[in-house]
Amino acid sequence: MEDQKQKEEFFPKIVGYLCNWCTYAAADLAGSSKMELSPSLNVIRVMCSSRVDYNLVLTTFFGGADGILIAGCHPGDCHYDKGNYYARRRYALLKSILETLKLDPERLQLSWISASEGKRYVDVVNEFTERIKKLGPNPINRNAYY
Amino acid sequence: MRLKIGVYVCECGPNIAERVDIDRVIKVISSLEEFEDIELVVKRYKLLCSNDGQAFLKNEIESNALTHLVVAACSPRDHESTFMNVCKKTNLNPYLFNMVNIREHCAWVIPDKAKATEKAIRSIRAGIRRTLHQSELLERELDANPDVLIVGGGIAGMEAALMLADEKRKVCLIEKTERLGGKSIFYSQLLSRQGNSAKMIQQKIEAVQQNAHIQVFTETELESVVGFFGNFEIVLKVGKETELQTGLKAGAIVIATGFRLLNPNKLPQTVYQKEDEVYTTLEVESMILNEGKISLKSGKSPQSIALVHCVGRDEKGYCSTICCSTIIKIARMLKAKLPQISIRVYYRDLCLPHKTDQQTYEEVKAEGVDFIRVKEAGIQNTSIEYTQIDGVKKKESADMVILAPAMEPADGTEALAELLNVSLGETGFFQEAHHHLNPVATSIEGIYIVGAAQGPKGISESVAQAQAVSGKILNRLIPGEKIVPEVKVCKVLEDFCTGCQTCLEVCCYGAISFNEVKGVSVVNEAVCRGCGNCVASCPSGAMRAIHFTTPQLYREMIEAIR
Repeated sequence: MEDQKQKEEFFPKIVGYLCNWCTYAAADLAGSSKMELSPSLNVIRVMCSSRVDYNLVLTTFFGGADGILIAGCHPGDCHYDKGNYYARRRYALLKSILETLKLDPERLQLSWISASEGKRYVDVVNEFTERIKKLGPNPINRNAYY
Repeated sequence: MRLKIGVYVCECGPNIAERVDIDRVIKVISSLEEFEDIELVVKRYKLLCSNDGQAFLKNEIESNALTHLVVAACSPRDHESTFMNVCKKTNLNPYLFNMVNIREHCAWVIPDKAKATEKAIRSIRAGIRRTLHQSELLERELDANPDVLIVGGGIAGMEAALMLADEKRKVCLIEKTERLGGKSIFYSQLLSRQGNSAKMIQQKIEAVQQNAHIQVFTETELESVVGFFGNFEIVLKVGKETELQTGLKAGAIVIATGFRLLNPNKLPQTVYQKEDEVYTTLEVESMILNEGKISLKSGKSPQSIALVHCVGRDEKGYCSTICCSTIIKIARMLKAKLPQISIRVYYRDLCLPHKTDQQTYEEVKAEGVDFIRVKEAGIQNTSIEYTQIDGVKKKESADMVILAPAMEPADGTEALAELLNVSLGETGFFQEAHHHLNPVATSIEGIYIVGAAQGPKGISESVAQAQAVSGKILNRLIPGEKIVPEVKVCKVLEDFCTGCQTCLEVCCYGAISFNEVKGVSVVNEAVCRGCGNCVASCPSGAMRAIHFTTPQLYREMIEAIR
C-alpha cells in the first residue's frame, strides 16, 4: 500500500527534445487551444530531431531524467529533408544501449508530431507521463555523477 | 566583468498573469543561490511585445548595462525576433538573449496555478543557465547575384524566363535538345476548340529568342554547380562537341526539365511492333499537327480507332492527371475529322479535374464517341483485350490504337538531382519543399522546380508554377540587396576532427567538404542550414551547432530537471 502511495506521489522529470518546426509548433498549438498538459515535461527546443545525439540522451538520463521524449516531423516532412530518419536510427541504437545500462528502454520515446497535431502532442506527452509514472523513478543515482 | 542578467516576465495581459503567480516567480528567481556570482535584475511587465514594452526593454538593457537577457513570455516562434530586434538597437548582442516560453508551456496548458508557477520557475532557471552559455554571434551580409539559371526550355522554363526578363533579370535558359518548346510544341490544340497551340508556343519561343535579357543555350546540359543561394557558380556543357562554358554565375536555379512518356513497349500487357498502327497520344498529336489529318501508314483512312487510358498507371503507382482530358480532346478532333468512323475509348477511371473537362466529356459522348469502362485493358498489336467491369473478358480490334501512357520524369532527372543535391520523391519526380504550402521550392534554398519536373501536370499548372517561381525569385533576390545567411550554422573544431567524413554523408545539403591537405571536414557556412545532424553523427565531438551547442542544451536540461 505504501509503495502504491509513493508511486502516486511520484512527479516524474521528463525532458522533451522537440524539433523547432513541427513538434514545437504543435506544442504552441496545444497551448493556444488551451489543452491540458502534464506539467512533468520540460521542453528543450532543438532545430531538428537529428540534433539529439547519443551523449545528450545518455547524459540526460545520468542527470536524473525519468523519461525522455524526442519528437519531430513525420517521415517525409522533415524541414531539413531527412533529419528525422537519422533521429530514428539513433533512437533504435539508443534503445539497445539503454538495455545494456539496465535502464528500461520504455523510458525513451520517439514520436512524430506535426505542427497541426496539437491534440496528438498532448496525448503523446500525457500518455508518456503516465508510462513513466508506472515505471517509477530513474534508478540511476544522479549524485554519483553530479 | 561581472555578469548582469536581466530577466523579464511578461504578463501577456491576463494570459500569463492570471495563470502563473508572477510575484512568486520573481521572488524565487531573485533569490536563487546558484546564480549568486551573477547580478540578476528580475522584473515583470504587462505586455513586452507592445511598443511601450519594447521601449521599456531597450531602456532596461541600456540603463542596467545588461550582459545577458532572458524574456519569459510567449513562444519564441511568436516574438523571438521582436526581442532580438530590440537587442539590435542596443549594445547587447541578440544571441545573448534567450526566450523562455511560459505561456504555451505553462500558463495555457497547466490549469493548476501552483504547478504552472513551479514549471515556469524551472523553465526560467533553465533559460538563464542556457543564456550564460550562449555566445555573441555576428550576422554577415553577402552580395547576391540576381541572375537566374533555368534548366529546361519547355513551356514552364520559357514562361519563367519571360517573367523574370520582364523585370530585367538576366536569365540563362539551357535546353538539352536542339530547340525550345519542350513537349507542348507537339500539341495540335491546347483544349478542344481552343485554337492551334503550336502557334501560341511558337510565339513564346520567338519572344524568348528575341528577348535581350534571355540568353538561350540549346543542346546544352549542366556540367557542375557549386555555391549557394545568391551565389551559384555554373559550368555548362554546350553543343554536340560538349564544349565547357565556365564563369557563369546565378543567384537562383529553376529546374524545368519536364517529363517523358512511359514507353508502352516495356509493359507486358501492351504488345505491338513498330509497323503496327499503334501510337501514343503525343505521336497522334504531332500527326494531326504536321499532316493535318489522321491516316494509317498505308495512307488510307482508318475505319475504327481505339483509345486506351491509364497505360502504365499501376506500374508507376500514380495518376498522370492530364491523359483523360488529352484523350477526350483527341477523340473530339478525330470525330471532327472523320465523323463516320467508330471511335471507342477504353477507360478505367476518369480524372477530369478542370472546370471545363466535364462539359467537354459530355459533349464528346453526345457526338458519338463510345466510352467503355474496363477493369483492365491491354493490346496485342491492334486488338484490344479487356476485362469488363462485370468480369467478362472481351477482345475487339481496331484499325488504329492510341495509347495514353503515364508521364515519367524526364531523362537525366536522377543525374540532375545528384548534381544539384536536391531530392527526388518516391515517384522519381523532383521533391517539393512542401506539397501544399511550398510547392515550387526544393529543400535547397535558391533552387526551385516548375512544371512536370515536379510531377505530372498540364500546361496551365506549369505556367502557373513558372509565374509563382518568378514571384519568389523577384521577391527574394533584389539587385543591390545583400542576403544575410543563417548564423546558427555548424562548425568544425579542426583539432578534434579525425577525418572520418561521416558528416559529409549525413549532410542533406552538401554543405560539408573535406580538406585533403589538413585531413579535416570543412563546413560551407552559406550552405549549412544548422539542423545539427552532423553534430549528432560526429564520433569525435568535432562538430558544433552554433547557438545549439552541447553545453547550451546540456546546461538547460540539467537545470530543468535539477
